[in-house]
Amino acid sequence: MHKRLAEVLVGYSTEVRKGDTVRIESYDTTALPVMREAYAAALRAGGHPTANLVLEENDETLYKEGRDHQLDWISPDQQWNIEHGDVWIVFDAVTNTKRLSNVDPERISRRLIARRPLQSLYLERSARGEFRWCICGAACEASAQDAGMSLRQYEQVLARAAFLDQDDPVAAWKQFGERLERVGDFLDGVRELRVVGEDTDLKLGVEGRTWIRAKGLRNFPDGEVFTGPQETSVEGTIRFSFPAMMRGRQADDVRLRFEGGEVVEATAKRGQDFLREMVGMDDGARRVGEFAFGLNESISEYTGNLLLDEKIGGTVHLALGRSVTGTGGENESGLHWDMVCDLRDGGEVYADGELVYRDGAFTNGIN
Amino acid sequence: MRDPRIEKLAELIAGYSLDLKEGQVYRIDGEDVSVPLAVALYAAAIRRGAHPYTKITPSGLEEIALEEASDEQLTYIPELEQLATEQLDAWTSLWGTVNTRSLTRVDAERRRLQLSTHYRMVNRRWERISSGELAWCGTLYPTQAHAQDAEMSLSEYEDFVHGACHTREGDDPIAHWRAMSETLGARARELEGVRELRITGPGTDLRLVVEGRRWLPSDGKHNMPDGEVFTSPVESGTSGDIFFSFPSVFQGQEVENVRLRFEDGAVVHAEATLGQEYLRSLLDTDSGAKVLGEVAFGLNYEIDRFTRDILFDEKIGGTMHVALGGGFDEAGTENKSDLHWDLICDLREEGEVYADGELVWKAGSFLSEPEPAVERV
Repeated sequence: MHKRLAEVLVGYSTEVRKGDTVRIESYDTTALPVMREAYAAALRAGGHPTANLVLEENDETLYKEGRDHQLDWISPDQQWNIEHGDVWIVFDAVTNTKRLSNVDPERISRRLIARRPLQSLYLERSARGEFRWCICGAACEASAQDAGMSLRQYEQVLARAAFLDQDDPVAAWKQFGERLERVGDFLDGVRELRVVGEDTDLKLGVEGRTWIRAKGLRNFPDGEVFTGPQETSVEGTIRFSFPAMMRGRQADDVRLRFEGGEVVEATAKRGQDFLREMVGMDDGARRVGEFAFGLNESISEYTGNLLLDEKIGGTVHLALGRSVTGTGGENESGLHWDMVCDLRDGGEVYADGELVYRDGAFTNGIN
Repeated sequence: MRDPRIEKLAELIAGYSLDLKEGQVYRIDGEDVSVPLAVALYAAAIRRGAHPYTKITPSGLEEIALEEASDEQLTYIPELEQLATEQLDAWTSLWGTVNTRSLTRVDAERRRLQLSTHYRMVNRRWERISSGELAWCGTLYPTQAHAQDAEMSLSEYEDFVHGACHTREGDDPIAHWRAMSETLGARARELEGVRELRITGPGTDLRLVVEGRRWLPSDGKHNMPDGEVFTSPVESGTSGDIFFSFPSVFQGQEVENVRLRFEDGAVVHAEATLGQEYLRSLLDTDSGAKVLGEVAFGLNYEIDRFTRDILFDEKIGGTMHVALGGGFDEAGTENKSDLHWDLICDLREEGEVYADGELVWKAGSFLSEPEPAVERV
């Protein structure tokens, strides 16, 4: 299965070509076997791979003991990769998803702000097609534990979500991509969306913005269609069904109220301070940088891993903060924090006043 | 559970070996098995105000490259590695591995090609180390594989490693290595007055000319553990026989009971009870491979046994070692070779060393303390 996944990532998602530099990373030793397979697959594709296990414990040391100049510093390998690298494959296996729960949120936001220029470059080069990166779901005990299952069960969830259980995963992704095109084509003609659900009634202007069909290139597994809504257009309230996870921290039962595109009220049952710190990080952190439909029906359960949760077929999500280059979104921020709202049980979406989506599925024949 | 000795080792390397300073860019390299030491080094560097980052490689990638890579891929040097080699202020290599023999059966030609690229970078690194632009220290995180080679349990091997580094509980490692540095420096100055060394022992009666060469102390700056004084002998001055009682492992291949005869500086006869072919092929590497590039006294008496790892073995207190192949510029060598192969001669039982005819070393120790350095006013 590792080899199969590696072949799809190298051959389909990032299309490694002769001479490409390929940086392969993960955070937990559980991912070492799949990192080795990706390294081998990148070599077979003619690339120049390197692999690096990122040590999460060092992050903790940096946040707790580092001085400001150390917190703001960017290592030469990260800098080079963003500036000059061709391909970057990250397996999201981690050691402990809550490892930074007790770190001062101000320190986290300081580091995010320091990395803003690098983030922008990363998104620009990505939008220009010069930098092909992929964040790939990888099994690890920490994520399995968050999902309330065993490592083996989590591996199966991932394999299903990534179509690796199908005979020809690449063909399956291409076919699924056609469906995402249909959804995107429809949304391209929409001016305003209204999302209605439990404690949720939110309007977003999306006219003139580009809907990106996420077909397994930058995320794997994948399956969403997203854009950057008009910065001042967002009005109303939204309540997120799933805990909002960010850099090893979380906020539960987040509710946001928007006026003129900005968050005017933000509450959480747990993690309220963290939520406020993040929303107050910079001007852009109060605005919505992304709105998306999750469309992957091979992902049905909440796992606590955003990479999977935001793609659950029947959900929508929005991100506070930076918009994604290529969507037409113009919001800038050190933050990009996705939060997911489940619409499968009674949720509705109206496109320019017309009901087009109910109980987690489009009702206008584009599914 | 954190091993406090690992934290101590990290403090020693960051504080003494590298002397890390505020704002210095510092990279820590190693395989995944060495992560605990990498984490401790990172923290020690943060506390010193430096900018550390790590490059932790999954074990087994070299083998994969040997199987899958084209020659061009195998010899490719990433731009990032070139930049690191040119720009880093400080660097640590962690040599711990999961299997010391994982490359024993690979294609030797391909491996040579892979290593030639690696050595080009290492040579450039040494230029910057020698000129004082880069602080570098190599060390080993104790693993099962190394313990197995040393014929110990992991816990015994950890005790051994921390003994050799003076990083046991209660040790003051920085004070120890400062004192060691004084002693080794004084010994090196003393040896610089010597014209010729004669080493005798079982199967050994070897003369080496060292006149005009510089003796250097290995005092824990570039290796941890450390503890030797070494020079590069005069190329044409080696004559006689030497017997190496310890097996020698080079690039994962073992050679046992090596006997060498030198005439006018070069090996004229070589035999081994195991790995004779390999021994001869190494001697045929190039013209410099038959000539000694190094002679050294091992002076770390906490290292009291052979462990099949040259980092430790060449420093065994009471041994001498010589290296076939390339010598050290800073010692004044003229011998160039792609080979640098250390062979260790155990002098602890019956060995004697004469300096210009005078007995200076017997049964594994110098007979006198070196003259202490003159106090600077």
